Amino acid sequence: MKRIATLNVNGESHEVAVELQESLLNTLRNQLGLIGTKRGCDSGGCGCCTVMVDGKARYSCMTYTLAVEGQPVRTVEGLGSGNRLDALQSAFIEAGAVQCGYCTCGILMAARDLLDHNPDPTEDDIRKGISGNLCRCTGYVKIVEAIGMAAKAVHGEA
Amino acid sequence: METRSMELEVVGMRVANVDALDKVTGGRGFPMNVTMPGMLHGRMLRSPYPHAQIVRIDASAARALPGVHAVLTPADVPQKVYSPVYFVPTLAVGSVQDMLLLDTRIRSVGQVVAAVAATTPEIAEAALDLIEVEYEELPAVFTIDEAIADAAPQLHEGKPGNIAKHVVHQTGDIDAGFADADTIFEGVYETQRVHTCYMEGRVCVVSADREGNLTVHASMQHLFGLREKLAFILDIPESKIRVVKPPYIGGGFGGKLEVTPMEPLAALMSMQTGRPVRIEHSRREDFITTCRSPFRLHLKTGIKKDGTITARSCRSYLDCGGNATHGAKVLEVHGLFGFMYTYNCPNRYWEGTTIYTNNMISGGYRGYGAPQAAFAVEQQMDEMAEALGIDPIELRLRNLHQEGEKHPLFPSDFTTYRLDECLRRGAEAIGWGSRSGPGAGKGRKVRGIGLATTTTWTSCCAGQPDLYEHSGAIVKLNPDGSADIATAAIDLGCGQNTTYCQIVAEELGLPFDKVRMTYADTSTVPFDAPMHASRGTYAAGGAIKLAASNARTMLLRYAAGMLSADVEDLDIRDGRIFVRNTSDRFVTIQDVATLADSPIVKMTQQGPVPDGPQFRGTIIGTSSFAPEFSPIVGGAMFVEVEVDTDTGEVSVEHVVYAHDIGKVINPMGAEGQVEGGVQQGIGYALMENLVFDQSNGVCLAGDFLDYKMPTAVEMPKRIESIFVESIEDSGPFGAKSLSECALIAPAAAIANAVYNATGARIKSLPITPEKVLEAMGRL
Repeated sequence: MKRIATLNVNGESHEVAVELQESLLNTLRNQLGLIGTKRGCDSGGCGCCTVMVDGKARYSCMTYTLAVEGQPVRTVEGLGSGNRLDALQSAFIEAGAVQCGYCTCGILMAARDLLDHNPDPTEDDIRKGISGNLCRCTGYVKIVEAIGMAAKAVHGEA
Repeated sequence: METRSMELEVVGMRVANVDALDKVTGGRGFPMNVTMPGMLHGRMLRSPYPHAQIVRIDASAARALPGVHAVLTPADVPQKVYSPVYFVPTLAVGSVQDMLLLDTRIRSVGQVVAAVAATTPEIAEAALDLIEVEYEELPAVFTIDEAIADAAPQLHEGKPGNIAKHVVHQTGDIDAGFADADTIFEGVYETQRVHTCYMEGRVCVVSADREGNLTVHASMQHLFGLREKLAFILDIPESKIRVVKPPYIGGGFGGKLEVTPMEPLAALMSMQTGRPVRIEHSRREDFITTCRSPFRLHLKTGIKKDGTITARSCRSYLDCGGNATHGAKVLEVHGLFGFMYTYNCPNRYWEGTTIYTNNMISGGYRGYGAPQAAFAVEQQMDEMAEALGIDPIELRLRNLHQEGEKHPLFPSDFTTYRLDECLRRGAEAIGWGSRSGPGAGKGRKVRGIGLATTTTWTSCCAGQPDLYEHSGAIVKLNPDGSADIATAAIDLGCGQNTTYCQIVAEELGLPFDKVRMTYADTSTVPFDAPMHASRGTYAAGGAIKLAASNARTMLLRYAAGMLSADVEDLDIRDGRIFVRNTSDRFVTIQDVATLADSPIVKMTQQGPVPDGPQFRGTIIGTSSFAPEFSPIVGGAMFVEVEVDTDTGEVSVEHVVYAHDIGKVINPMGAEGQVEGGVQQGIGYALMENLVFDQSNGVCLAGDFLDYKMPTAVEMPKRIESIFVESIEDSGPFGAKSLSECALIAPAAAIANAVYNATGARIKSLPITPEKVLEAMGRL
């Protein structure tokens, strides 16, 4: 049984037909073509699928699409504005925080949530803020560094 | 490899990953994202039993389900016996061929029994439930001891005693060596199964056209290996299979070095239906597809009072699970590289046995048998050092092979080998001098420092006649003065694409941002060996440098003509080709490349006139190259841990890892390799374990909720990489290798640090709180 839902994703409105139990991950990837949101485990264990729902980081694989109707959804494609990168994206490139890159988009969204709620995080805050996201390549060293750099860059601008 | 004597401009530069912009904005290039119009979704049915014979399969209800387009059971697929590992030709003598695509004999839980392709994943899954399979259960064996017992069930025909592979290697006179020793040390060490935990699960999309030509997309580590396996298993010519190179994949770490049933099954279902078929693993399927091979080692070393090792023997048992796959080669690598030649010793004896059990299939994982050996060897080195009253660093220095030595067995001499310098610099950085005796700390939380070394090799051409080694590339100049690289050498996430762009930019005298990695598939580029054995920079990088060098030769020939100068008198700087010692006689690379692709008739005011073809034709270089040599790399890892003596928990506080990897092409990428290796090593040492129910062979840690790998909070805040840059003449710009080296020492170093902190020595992995408390006598 499908239902028609109206989703607000990255500021755009989309009408989609979804199964009651369809995950936001599947809707984003398979219906809206937003492939920046990655399927890693489908069980809330790796964080590759992290998006922001109403400004909070959420595992999209553990979120029903129908449950986010009326709430703004932000994916990595909506990070930054137009061709301008978010400070986190620039910092990830510069710091060497991207290796295979499969976890990257999810970690960027978790980090965006962290910085939105805590603009001047300590190293411990950063580590805790991304502890729901796994990365197998980097040891998190340069990811933690990049998030700290992004926080400072935004402060510098302000 | 010949390197011109010149200042390096791009090689050695700290550069951002060339794919990073794409990856931070969505990462479009992953195979997981490939879809095709009209695509069907495949799913695989797996055995719930560890050892069984399939008596009957009835798939009629599944075939009748609306939306189902193909169903495959063992009766529907070719029955060719094969080895799934990519890095050996299927019929190579060294590989154990014991697998069928779909077998009616089940040897481990999760073995694929049937497959379905349907219009949606949901229908495919519903169809799997409709396949009736009648199994006759057989007695199963889950431990090495059960498997080698006299009354054990035999898992494979012609493999008595469940022995898949048995190797004996010896040098000198082992008995005389032990007789010559003042003291003999013995120990039994055990290592567990761990998963590589690539973040992008395994996935493939196979599309067959009406003539039976296959186009294959997959997340894997070897394009040509996949082509060869598909051709063999499906019994079709290799020319009918085109494996497309993904721009990058989401990690491999050795976990994508074999064909799994998904690719040939998807191919067969696509050929049957004429529609593309996509199969993806659930994470649970990934966890039971391959893992680091578990070992039990009996290590014995004879040593003199002055610390000279006189004899070393080891018996190693590898539990490969239901099929040998990598089990035969991991065993050899473990013994010959991981154990036999890490330290000098005149008298060596090693006996390795790979044993079939009804556990999950083991595999190859970054380090490939060497971390298991290091866990034993490096702990025993510390045990001996303490008993003899010799500093652990000193004991190692006294027994190291020396730079310049010939390798006793393989053509991988110690041409460049500065492990001694790694030890000295690492010791200084960690503060080795302030290290106290074992268990000296007081209070609930105690600290300890430990070390372990690794001596391994780059690539694997040396002494391994069954292994592929060639790499190849096409380097082509564009009219805008940029260069494209096409190669099947694939970027698993280690930064190969970036390294290759640096190598080509350096060789051609182009700015780094003027070089791009571009499309490749098995129909268009030269053969390439798998991305394994830390061969990416050295072997594939060498091939890419050679292709660039060939393009450079053509470029200079054209430029010489245009400048009316001799090729020998030209220099390339900053995208310009100069007549040496002049500043005004030059052409730009762009000028030359533009002319090369121009018409051979030029337009003048008087109309078109012939312009001659002498500087025309695309500037291009190709290569197909295998190094003749496998240089040795060394690493010394130092680690400080804190142990909670009430809970037994170990936390890693500070890591210094010094490597001699030759010339570092991209320092930022190299650091990333070390940091990731340390992370995987901490997981291996302290927490990761693919736990199985030993009564029925079912994996109990089949997702990331149950399988614990380090998150950012479990990682130390201080990880320091030290690079000792010996210049290896056989490598591109002096480079050797890194990736695996970084994961060989950590578990052993952490075990030694735990001992230093607590006085408790733990000889089985992972070092869990329970084991720590038990070893401390507090349980």
